[in-house]
Amino acid sequence: MRRLQLLYVVLALFLGALGVSWVTHGTGIVRNDPDRHIAIPTPLTMPLQVKAAYNDQDIFFRYRWPSARPGIHHDVLVFQGGKWVVRGEAAAGSEPNGLAEDRVAMMLDDGGVPEFGRYGGYITVGDGITTFSQSADAKAVRAHPDLGQRMKQVEVSKYLPATRRVVGDWSALVSESELAAQRKAGYFLDLWHWRAHRSNPLNISDDQNIGAARLGDAGRSSYSTNWDREAKQPKLMLDPARAGRKGLRWDDIVQGRLGFGDIYYLRADQAVPFDPKAGWAEGDTLPRRILTPADGSRGDIAVSGEGRWKDGYWDVILQRRLDTGHPLDDKILRDQGAYQVAFSVHRNAQQERWHYVSLPFSLGLGRPSEIVAAKFTGAAPDWRQAWTDVTLFYPGQVSWPLLNSKKHAGATSIDKGVPVKYRHSESQLAHYGVEAEFADAIRRQWLFTVFAGVLLIAGFGIALNLLAPKQGV
Amino acid sequence: MAAYHVVLVHFPIALWMTATLAIVWRALSDGPLAKAVDRALVPLLTLGLIAGLVAYAVGTQVWSWETVSSTPLGRNHLLLATRWIQGEAVWDGVMRWIMAGLAILGSVLLGITGTLGGHLVGIYTQVSDALRPLGWEVYTTFYVPTSTLMVIGAVTVLMIGLGLWGRMRRSTGAPS
Repeated sequence: MRRLQLLYVVLALFLGALGVSWVTHGTGIVRNDPDRHIAIPTPLTMPLQVKAAYNDQDIFFRYRWPSARPGIHHDVLVFQGGKWVVRGEAAAGSEPNGLAEDRVAMMLDDGGVPEFGRYGGYITVGDGITTFSQSADAKAVRAHPDLGQRMKQVEVSKYLPATRRVVGDWSALVSESELAAQRKAGYFLDLWHWRAHRSNPLNISDDQNIGAARLGDAGRSSYSTNWDREAKQPKLMLDPARAGRKGLRWDDIVQGRLGFGDIYYLRADQAVPFDPKAGWAEGDTLPRRILTPADGSRGDIAVSGEGRWKDGYWDVILQRRLDTGHPLDDKILRDQGAYQVAFSVHRNAQQERWHYVSLPFSLGLGRPSEIVAAKFTGAAPDWRQAWTDVTLFYPGQVSWPLLNSKKHAGATSIDKGVPVKYRHSESQLAHYGVEAEFADAIRRQWLFTVFAGVLLIAGFGIALNLLAPKQGV
Repeated sequence: MAAYHVVLVHFPIALWMTATLAIVWRALSDGPLAKAVDRALVPLLTLGLIAGLVAYAVGTQVWSWETVSSTPLGRNHLLLATRWIQGEAVWDGVMRWIMAGLAILGSVLLGITGTLGGHLVGIYTQVSDALRPLGWEVYTTFYVPTSTLMVIGAVTVLMIGLGLWGRMRRSTGAPS
């Protein structure tokens, strides 16, 4: 073979290797891994539309988002082999049988948490948070004198940075008196949490807050567990006289045959004590949640009209008093007030951290801002104002300690108070979130790639020099 | 150090881009002016390499190794910068079309490197949008799977082997 032909062969090999690198790059590492609690949703972003309006007494938020189907079911008890078994337990990503309700949530602040307006929900994702690949040990959480013993937490949920003495230590809570003082000073986030199964059938939204943990507001929750531990059987079943049946059928649930016109939930006022001798058959199913109207501060938020899914979209309107009278649980809103909000959506039977979140948005009551709440008179808004389009993104495993560490090039910008929106888009953050779940593996493979690239170019250079004629080819 | 890095990268960029134009010109022309430009290539590339190494060294001081190797944009920027500087070494000889192709490829990589650097310091361009439809999301780290690493290793060995074989044939008087 002549030298010129060899040169062409070398050139073809070099270009071929570059081509293979281009085509195969980014593969081989990122994949779902249930053992590490990794389940990456597709797509990585989704839209949400928001409107707000208020009158002298109430504020209304209207949310609209796409969902392939209405996720109106949650965990259930199924009669199988002569006993009741739980289906729909927590799983990474989407629950395989669709037994995880759709949700929309909104964090709301009045400036009491200054970092929130700049970094949104990222500040609530602290060390040890549940469902991360590395999260706090449940036994340690339960044994913790404040978090476990006093606050009855069984896992590390969302919390605010200043509730810990050390940013990177979930267990380093400040003292109880300091937490109480922070609360009085407004250092907490209001959390509106609409749930398609656990609150919507009652026409309410869960009302929670985030401080030292994600907590329910004072008062009774709208849901409890339908299980009698001592008797090892459900507590309640449907009242045949009111519901027309004693329970549901598994096939009806998983095949999506139940709709808004059917009873797919277990309301306490439509239920009777469970009767083990009621003639239960294989596949009979009872909801694992008992729904009871919330009371106290926990029941401040109502659904205006009906929260419904239609033609591929949820349309939900929430309504609350501007001043609920619960300033230690809720952010009190005022005409011409300026606030900050951030949103999240669970759909496709996603649970826990496998949701889509937004960056923070400004909210103005009758004043310029990204979301302007329109003032109206009367009982209900006319909703003539335009939607505010919000892009939600999958956040991955990015925590506040990570963002403030040397592993984040923008840590110094956070120190300086540069808002996240100034440097990052939602799509960018989604990609970063996924990469954060495989940080070590990607870093290692990238180093190999750098080395291989240098080797390839050096090899090409050596070959060229060996084959190159002194004058002309 | 970011500001100094931004100042310093202008020198290798200017020198390398000038060298690229010179190489392309030389590849297209055997005229006296092209030959004169060709003679300036070695000092141009040498100065460019020195300036590039200085800018590279300063660039590594902008963030710590832990930071830049943990950030997709940082990793991509470093990867391209490393490849580009190493690529200079092959710009020798008279294989004009290969030279021209490598020069253009190097310029494209240099442009992408600069774009990623801009992203890192908060100055955005649309170049990253252009790369997306070509198959590269710049907000994800550029890495290749292990199978491709093995292909690259094999190709590297093969290229050098072919080069040595060609050289041996030449030294033994085989037809070229």
